[in-house]
Amino acid sequence: MTATEGISAAAGESEQAERAARGPLARAWSRFRKHRLAFGSLIFCSLLIITAIAAPLIAPYGYEETDIQHKLAGPGSEGHLLGTDLLGRDILSRLIYGLQTALTVAFGAELTALVLALAIGLLAGYLGGRVESLLMAFTDVMYAFPSYLFAVVMVTVLGRSIFALVVAIGIASWVTQARLVRAQVMTIKEREYVEAARSMGAKGSTIAIRYILPNAIGPILVTTSFAIPAAIAAEAGLALLGLGVQPPTPSWGAMISEGSRYLLAAPHMLVAPAVLFALTLLAFTWIGDGVRDAFDPSGEQR
Amino acid sequence: MGLAVYIGKRLVRLVLSLIAVSILTFTLLQLAPGNFADLQRVNSGATNFGGVGTESMVGELETRYGADVPVWKQYLIFMKGAVVWDFGPSYKYASRNVQDIIAEAFPVSATLALLAVLLALLIAVPVGVFAALRQNSKTDHGTMFVVTLGHALPSYLSAAFMILLFSATLKLLPSGGWNGPKDLILPVLALSLGPAAVLARYVRSSMLETLREEYVTAAIAKGGPRRTVIVRHALRNSLIPLVTVAGPLLAALMTGTVFVEALLRIPGLGLYFANAAASRDMPLLMGTALFFALILMVTNLAVDLIYRFLDPRIRTVGGVSDDGH
Repeated sequence: MTATEGISAAAGESEQAERAARGPLARAWSRFRKHRLAFGSLIFCSLLIITAIAAPLIAPYGYEETDIQHKLAGPGSEGHLLGTDLLGRDILSRLIYGLQTALTVAFGAELTALVLALAIGLLAGYLGGRVESLLMAFTDVMYAFPSYLFAVVMVTVLGRSIFALVVAIGIASWVTQARLVRAQVMTIKEREYVEAARSMGAKGSTIAIRYILPNAIGPILVTTSFAIPAAIAAEAGLALLGLGVQPPTPSWGAMISEGSRYLLAAPHMLVAPAVLFALTLLAFTWIGDGVRDAFDPSGEQR
Repeated sequence: MGLAVYIGKRLVRLVLSLIAVSILTFTLLQLAPGNFADLQRVNSGATNFGGVGTESMVGELETRYGADVPVWKQYLIFMKGAVVWDFGPSYKYASRNVQDIIAEAFPVSATLALLAVLLALLIAVPVGVFAALRQNSKTDHGTMFVVTLGHALPSYLSAAFMILLFSATLKLLPSGGWNGPKDLILPVLALSLGPAAVLARYVRSSMLETLREEYVTAAIAKGGPRRTVIVRHALRNSLIPLVTVAGPLLAALMTGTVFVEALLRIPGLGLYFANAAASRDMPLLMGTALFFALILMVTNLAVDLIYRFLDPRIRTVGGVSDDGH
């Protein structure tokens, strides 16, 4: 039974009995659904994700396709809803493919960061002792490294590809999460049910994965959902510096930087990417707000 | 633990962190494919000086750092220079030394950052107090919603919207460059919005907390004018926790300057750093990266010390506290 089915079933029957049976995730989900702004944002972001995946089907033109007769055409001109750029490329199509770049990098980077953070945080938090001091010393060094400096250095090393950006942004942002995972593990591992499992002879790895991880998932999900908009902003930022994906592959950051250069001649080149970028960031941030409130209902409302 | 011991410990840790950062950066950059000379050959003529002088200069630099010397020795040579504030000449700006570029560009970025902090405080304190005094009203929710917007958007995006408004539409301000005081307005405004949002949130919640304190209630009960109580008793005490966010905030601001400078073409440290990375100007990249790291670490240390000074309770806790990021 999936989480959604579980909830719709629960809604009909007696709440009290169901509440006890449901896991923390299901409870958080039912709270999340009541958060209107967050739930609306989730729908908006799902549409964005579908658009990104189906980009070749949805985009009216290819991102490299030039319409030489209509360079710098304004928005609403025939065939080009949002106009064209300096080379006569359709801006709407480039925005859609840029969305693909942004989301691929952001989700890839967050997945990388999460895997690294979980592995290192769980190991350090659970094993303790010398392994912990070693891993945490390493984490401290990385923490001292300003994350965007590190991302810039990594992109310089790895080149300007989607893969390089995923690795650069992922590695630059795992540290905060690893520290969080470790802190979570440290508190949870002292709880009685973990003690009980240990006294019954459960193995260390079993305890870490079966007992500690599920109970640490809330705060981890919260930071992860806030890290996604941060990664989207990082990708665009690197592109703005001329360190994003290799052109002609579109990126919103590069489009914004290009638009700012032809501001007076063609402001529409800047308006479209800036507005879509802002909406995307806000929607992902609001999802983060919703997730935080869902896991911590006692916390601040906004 | 004495203050001197504490500062000493923190300084040692700062130096160790800097060394770690320098080793990591240096090693990674050694692995970077393609060097400055290659890039020059590919797009010769695209930068200030054509391919002519490049070959001999890179050759010269290779002898200086010694491409024949093992990597660890190259690192030591670099660090020896760094300690006495001599990073050698830049590749891209061939006539200038890296330290001179830093000395010229840093004040530009620092001016932007400091003005942005000031503006952020000027916005945040009244907004936060205003929202706190009307807790849970529509005005409070509305203000805090606007604050969320400022918090979620990176400064370069705010800068993009501002040039659309002030340069393209109203034609009031230049859309970039660095020629006069007018050019300060947009970057400072764009940089201040994020910090203003964070600070306003803190001022609001801190204000809500102090308003519930007994000494505030007492002051009101004694019949003090509302305004005096709010300013002298509540506001003053609710500003202390702001220092704790100052560290991460300044770090975020320094990051912001890099992107805003790139977008608005302002010759600050961030622009040089980005250009150095894009053109593989290794001496300039190493120099600016280390300098950025140093500034951030010193800022964090200063913030921690100020906080200890303001709130003596922390001293009894002791130990080396975490520095913010």
